[in-house]
Amino acid sequence: MRRVATRLAIPLLSLAILLGVWWLVVELRVWSEVFVPSPASVWERLKEGESVHDGQVGLSGYYLHQHLWASLWRILRGVAFALVFGVALGLALATIKPFRLVVEPYVNFIRSLPPLAYFSLLIIWFGIEDTSKIWLLFLAAFPPIALSVLAGVEGIRRERVDAARALGASRWQVVRFVTLPSILPQLFTGTRLALGFAWTTIVAAETVDGIPGIGGLAWQTKKFQQTDVAVLCIIVIGLTAIALDQLVKQLEKRVLPWHGKA
Amino acid sequence: MSVSGDHTVVLRGVAHRYRGRDADVQALAPLELEIGAGEFVAVVGPSGCGKTTLLQLLAGFLTPTEGTVTVGGAPVTAPSPDRGVVFQQANLYPWMTVRGNVELGPRLRGVPRAERRRIAERYLELVGLSEFGGAATYELSGGMQQRCQIARVLANDPAIMLLDEPFGALDALTRDRLQDELHRIWRGSGKTAFFITHSVEEAVYLGTRVLVMSPRPGRIVLDEQVPFDAGARTAELRATPAFVAFRERIAATIGQG
Repeated sequence: MRRVATRLAIPLLSLAILLGVWWLVVELRVWSEVFVPSPASVWERLKEGESVHDGQVGLSGYYLHQHLWASLWRILRGVAFALVFGVALGLALATIKPFRLVVEPYVNFIRSLPPLAYFSLLIIWFGIEDTSKIWLLFLAAFPPIALSVLAGVEGIRRERVDAARALGASRWQVVRFVTLPSILPQLFTGTRLALGFAWTTIVAAETVDGIPGIGGLAWQTKKFQQTDVAVLCIIVIGLTAIALDQLVKQLEKRVLPWHGKA
Repeated sequence: MSVSGDHTVVLRGVAHRYRGRDADVQALAPLELEIGAGEFVAVVGPSGCGKTTLLQLLAGFLTPTEGTVTVGGAPVTAPSPDRGVVFQQANLYPWMTVRGNVELGPRLRGVPRAERRRIAERYLELVGLSEFGGAATYELSGGMQQRCQIARVLANDPAIMLLDEPFGALDALTRDRLQDELHRIWRGSGKTAFFITHSVEEAVYLGTRVLVMSPRPGRIVLDEQVPFDAGARTAELRATPAFVAFRERIAATIGQG
């Protein structure tokens, strides 16, 4: 019990100090409120975001949770497509040598591009609605998954495969009974990385026609210098991303009780 | 467990070379070998003598760069469930239970669930793991994992068992016990065993026939039947003059190699 208390106390204390410093900086008027909004006004925006005020719904016409859900739904679809494609691509890269020689450089090429670089193309090809956004998130999310799967397959000890072959496993049965289960830990890592990349791409994805969307909302604040809304969006995005990551981590513990033990 | 058909293993002019970074490495010199069905052939030699290469050729994991390997007249080109392989590491699949691992061979062949369950229980009992069928593999001790691996191989009822230093990583007490168990299982099964070890004592204790291999490139420098019967193995056997004398001779041969 005491240990749990200590483990909770330290982050809570650091959070309190951070809020204290923030409040102090605003009170002392170190910078203008346009640059650094006060904690109180961020809190006000949060309350506005979840209520009807002056005849207006939430922020920019949607409740805050609607913005968040719109973004989350885009990310989940983008990452879901990335999972299907990334696993298949990773397996193909790992097992077909000529394919790898040809394709791996392109995967690395796409991986190194900033998403905004090709966003215009996607908008021209797929329009300004959700399709182009999901494409963008997909393109940001699939390389870490494919490369994790590739690393996972390469890390399988040869004897593990040989043991199955000597038991009579066909090529396909080796994939089904040995390869796929063996790479699950790397697949989870790849998925967490992909979700991270998707979150860091969400603002870019929602720069065009991004309302509702938490990234779109954040992007819009520059027009009216709504720094308090920007800070609110930053906090919401950060906390949601961490929560989602923890969710995947807990799922991993559930699905892979054997990981690290054998 | 029963064995039918011809399972004589024949190696004709078999040599193997690995492609190295600078030069090729000759792991096995050309060698001739014939193993009759039901023999327990124990192979000893220093590390790097090519004994594992030899086993991998028999298993079908490797194809010899020269010569041919045949079993019952048919060339070995790929692994087969008829030639079970027991590795030094148990290589159990941690995402399956102990029973799931033992069932795997029959499952791959499409044996119905109830039937393969029955098979698994039989072999788990044979190796003394009946109570652990539902356990996770990583909860087992090293010796129990090795028993599980042996049960997994036996569940396929292979005519030939290829064992690559299966007890090499175990403590001495566990090793002695598993040696006796393996010998009990092999006796009367009619199966051929090809057993690699770096322990002269173990080779002489288990084999009906002992092969000694020389350092690279590996060749067979001694090939003899053990001078005692294939009956039950007991601790007393290790102390008999016949056993000690034979063991000393094998050890001396390796020393000269």
